[in-house]
Amino acid sequence: MKITELTRSGRKDIVFCVARTADGALCAGTSEGKVLGVDPGGARADAVFSGAPHTSYVTGLARARHRLISGSYDRHLIWWDGSRSTQLFRKPAHEKWIRKVCASPDGTTVASVADDMVARIWDAETGALRAELKGHAPETPHHYASMLFTCAFDPSGDLLATADKVGRIIVWNVAKGEVVQTMDSPGMYTWDPTQRRHSIGGIRSLAFSPDGKTLVAGGIGTIGNIDHLAGNARIEVFEWRSGQSVAVVETGQVKGLVNQLAFAAGGGWLLGAGGDNKGLHLLVNCATWKLEFEETCAFHVHDFLLDPGGSQYTAVGHQGICLNGIS
Amino acid sequence: MTPRFPGFCATSAHDISRRAFLSHSLAVGSGALLGTAGAVHALDEDSVNAALRATGKSVILLWLAGGPSQLETWDPKPGRPTGGPFASIPTSVPGVHLGELMPEMARRMHKLTLIRSVNSRDAGHGTAAEMMLRGRKNEAALMYPDIGCLIAKELGRADSKVPGYVSFYSQTEGRGNTNATPSFLGAQYAPMILNDGMMPPNLSRLANITSADHRDRAQLRDLLSARFADNRGLEAVRSHASAYARVHGLMSSEPLFDIAQEPESIRQRYGPSLFGQQVLMARRMAEAGVPFIRVARAWWDSHGQNFETHQEMVPELDHVMATLMDDLEQRGMLESTLVLAMGEFGRTPAINPSLGRDHFAAAWSVAMFGAGLQGGAVFGRTDPDGQTVAEGEVGPGEIFATVLAAVGIDPEKEYLVGSRPVPLVNPGIKPIRSLLA
Repeated sequence: MKITELTRSGRKDIVFCVARTADGALCAGTSEGKVLGVDPGGARADAVFSGAPHTSYVTGLARARHRLISGSYDRHLIWWDGSRSTQLFRKPAHEKWIRKVCASPDGTTVASVADDMVARIWDAETGALRAELKGHAPETPHHYASMLFTCAFDPSGDLLATADKVGRIIVWNVAKGEVVQTMDSPGMYTWDPTQRRHSIGGIRSLAFSPDGKTLVAGGIGTIGNIDHLAGNARIEVFEWRSGQSVAVVETGQVKGLVNQLAFAAGGGWLLGAGGDNKGLHLLVNCATWKLEFEETCAFHVHDFLLDPGGSQYTAVGHQGICLNGIS
Repeated sequence: MTPRFPGFCATSAHDISRRAFLSHSLAVGSGALLGTAGAVHALDEDSVNAALRATGKSVILLWLAGGPSQLETWDPKPGRPTGGPFASIPTSVPGVHLGELMPEMARRMHKLTLIRSVNSRDAGHGTAAEMMLRGRKNEAALMYPDIGCLIAKELGRADSKVPGYVSFYSQTEGRGNTNATPSFLGAQYAPMILNDGMMPPNLSRLANITSADHRDRAQLRDLLSARFADNRGLEAVRSHASAYARVHGLMSSEPLFDIAQEPESIRQRYGPSLFGQQVLMARRMAEAGVPFIRVARAWWDSHGQNFETHQEMVPELDHVMATLMDDLEQRGMLESTLVLAMGEFGRTPAINPSLGRDHFAAAWSVAMFGAGLQGGAVFGRTDPDGQTVAEGEVGPGEIFATVLAAVGIDPEKEYLVGSRPVPLVNPGIKPIRSLLA
């Protein structure tokens, strides 16, 4: 398997998140606080959604039926009408930076995670707060503030996985607000007690397999030079019901964080992307949990959308958007 | 096996045996003697500075190794393309804002002095660190002393039982860039290095020697040395005796290095991090009369994940600095202690693909407080994107001179190195007068 770049457009801003509207239009959230329609080929100009933008980086964007919900480091969620590109309403949602927003597969529920270490569950239509999921420690073992980086619904939408800076993963029953399983991926916590007394890794991405049995977590492994994200990209695979780690996949050549993960529809392979000062993307064979492909790419990828057919994906990131083919 | 003891040593190992310490000091004395025959030596005698020493001033340097981002701390640019994701917050000084990660220092801004217009023109770790710590670049044939060594000489007391300069640098990275050389001042002004802990190892008297025996041995050695020196007057003998006296002084000041002597409530105020505990130790040292203490906190070199790095480290810096300020004030030490927080440079306004910021020396910030500095003062200004200094450009020399002046040392003073007069700062360099009381 391999990945080939098909089209790319350069930008001045940083694109942190991407989603499609119900009409299939590609939308993105940026470092300028905007949510806008984008064209990966660069032929069409950005179409900025109307309404007051976020006041900091937009780091989460999810589609729930006809709506888009964006989350930002400004601690707010904004609900948008995806087809009309207009703002519906906004809500103060967290005490600290919002890191990720995701929607349940049926589009009724939205989850947001933030550095206040709380996952909040929202009614995707009304914006009503349904539940607060508290279980991630606010401090690292070394007494620094932790960060709750990512979340993902399982295919049923009944379960939500959340993961943090120290490698703790919690699977929640969303309706009951209860912890179903807790797992640890300590290799994702890059605390360096000697050279720097500092860490910058953490679990940055999560994805359930299509059958819901497997949960994968992405981040970075042991870092040689923490200042430059100089560590192999790392994915750990869990049979989450038992809580067992069944595989660790690390890149051999490319370096950096795995910021996003997605399974192919049939569950046969896994796509990951991220990077350090360069971008990276990789493909993993899910039968063997072996790396099939790894390569640097045009820019550090913060998010991507894998097409349902699995033949293309749209990547967004540092000053760029591109469309890639998978063959 | 020879017991190990961290001494006033200028070797790369930075900790030596007690026996080696004494031998080294003897060699230094011999070197000084050789200096009179033509090698580089310092002629400025201790007695000149007696008046200064009476002031009891100290400097605590918070050395932020790797270079923190001015944009995430002292000179925020929210809403600009270069500003990053953090907001700014108002401070106790109307119109002055700090980065949102510094709420505690923001509340104390009226006691803080900021220089927002540093252009140090060197963005390499090693050379920049040397320059910031020496106030200028070395010459081909002359290495300038580290600021801590210079202050140890100027403000230290010859009869002091405590070191003149203590350095905490627990992280390994960047440490080699900041070997604090006393250069022509002499090795007695090199720092005591405490890298692996806060208590010098092997400081305690051996268990099989009673304190009376220990004291008697010292008195006998002093008596014999004095007779020997009276008859000969050798610099080497005086140096040897001085080294012994310093070792005895250190051994008698063992409690100074024992942080358990601090009440638990005070320790908790500084927080659980190693940096916090070392800064508390620095306050103990200043209180005991150590003229210069450096506490290094690496690693700010955030080429990747600058914002996560600063989220992790700035709150620690904010809390520890604020606690130190309060603690010094409550003890009546704020007027006599200068606290200086800086790295070797700042960080680029441009954000790189790793969401990092790179080395940047053209427009960055230094913070300081205490010792009569003008609280609430903000000197200089950068342009709206933080790319250049827009007003009040200063370099390492001006910062160096300002620190010296604040603790009562004339920056225009000269040493004689051989027959050459060497001023403490380069000719034409002045302190920032508007920041001095």
